[in-house]
Amino acid sequence: MFSMSRRRAVVLLALSSILLITLDLQGNAVVDGVRRAFGTVFQPLQDAGRVITRPIGNAWRGITQYDDLEAENERLQDRIDQQEGAFIAALATARDAQELLALNGIDDLTDISSITAQVVGESPTNFSQTVEINQGSSDGLRVGMPVVNAAGLVGKVTEVFANRSIVMLATDVSYAIPIQVLNLPEPEPVVTTTTTTVPTTTTTTTTTTTPTSTSTTTTTPLSPLSPSPSTSIAPVVTSIAPVLTVAPPTTQPTPSSVVDINALPAAETGAFRGRGSDRAPIVEFVDQSSRFVKIKVGAVVITAGGSKSLAPRGIVIGRVVKIVERSGTSGAVLEVRLTARLSTLNFVRVLLYQPAVSP
Amino acid sequence: MIEFINRPVVRLTLIGLIALVVQTTLLADLKFDGIALQIMLAMSIGAGISGGSERGALAGFMFGLMFDLVLSSPLGLTALVYGLVGFLAGYANLLAVANPWWLNALIGAGGSAAATFAYPVVATWVGVDGWLTTRVIEVAIVVALANALIVPLAAPVMRWGLVIKRRARLAPPPEIFA
Repeated sequence: MFSMSRRRAVVLLALSSILLITLDLQGNAVVDGVRRAFGTVFQPLQDAGRVITRPIGNAWRGITQYDDLEAENERLQDRIDQQEGAFIAALATARDAQELLALNGIDDLTDISSITAQVVGESPTNFSQTVEINQGSSDGLRVGMPVVNAAGLVGKVTEVFANRSIVMLATDVSYAIPIQVLNLPEPEPVVTTTTTTVPTTTTTTTTTTTPTSTSTTTTTPLSPLSPSPSTSIAPVVTSIAPVLTVAPPTTQPTPSSVVDINALPAAETGAFRGRGSDRAPIVEFVDQSSRFVKIKVGAVVITAGGSKSLAPRGIVIGRVVKIVERSGTSGAVLEVRLTARLSTLNFVRVLLYQPAVSP
Repeated sequence: MIEFINRPVVRLTLIGLIALVVQTTLLADLKFDGIALQIMLAMSIGAGISGGSERGALAGFMFGLMFDLVLSSPLGLTALVYGLVGFLAGYANLLAVANPWWLNALIGAGGSAAATFAYPVVATWVGVDGWLTTRVIEVAIVVALANALIVPLAAPVMRWGLVIKRRARLAPPPEIFA
């Protein structure tokens, strides 16, 4: 049914494709140049197309996502209310951390310049997880720079044109980065002791136990009726807890000024990689040293930094939501829930960071 | 000027660029459950239906290459898959004496499903891991259903793109007598 020349033409096309794939995978400069040139020529057409099609896209989203957006809006409002108090306390902690880093001569994220960019396009395919942003090489962007938003790591720049760039999201199967897992200290029960001396010489002690991960110490002014200063160690985000009445303590608890090294978060290194939009990213190759007794669900995952890493240390990636134990020396696989919501990106920040040593 | 526009390569480039703009703007926005429709694939299948296996392969290769140039996946991967699907669409169409719209829709659905499965398979073969997941089934179904509607519309456009006169297309293809 097919002539020889017909078959030959099809085989030639297939071989051409395979040749192009091979050249591209080996990092050919000509292929990169052609890609960049096509991107430059195509960009004005795409921009014009975007202007024309944006109202259609907005109308479509208005129809299909209205209920979701409304529900999400309410949920976010609740979350803002909850986090308001925590944010103020976190600011103070962050300031302390920055001072400590500065005292020890260690760079932190605030020392790195960044550029804010708007997400102008999403991936046109169903396999790669990318977005397009409206900043490019003319703004100082380079391939490999980390991209973050207010919540945490978003991805990295993979292609740069004059006025736009392609960002590979952290969920893409090709995305990988060295990380650290911070096993936060066990939440200790908070003891609030209030001793009140009443004229009838009866002593009543109320002990409230509240789990917390962060705590502050506040000293309240002396009450005319109080025989001793009242020390209250309360969580930043307070919650209602049952009141338990016990016998009066024999000694007054005093806040300790000595740092307990065992209470500090233990950090272990590993490799983070994305697995596509439908599966949670994972952390593999976590060191199982004796210091890091057991990884717990809820542990925080941050970028590890280092001279070869494409991202500086300390960018929050997410939290461990599932631990899959594996037999042998391969270690556990940790499933991570990203803190940044990659499905609804609008503005992102590109950190103008390049590793000291090219990876 | 008219002579220039009448060349199939020029027309295909024009169609390819317009389709690529639609793909990277409108269809990247209008996603069904996170799944983007694939108009470049529909155009490749439409070329196969309108022009036969050889022209389908050529147009598919060209559209795939254009798509590859704006993606971060390996250059040539989409060209290979779309070229093969264009070829298969043309081959399937040869088996029928007439090509009613429902047959075009059927070839569009089948070709799209085949391409959606083939894409991650070829990607895995060339070393891009992680694309071959169960989600491919969902993607294949959505893309196949959408392209069943788009391909009958794409076929006349591709007939214009390949400079094929309707009378010539309605005649039995020469391969029948080979």
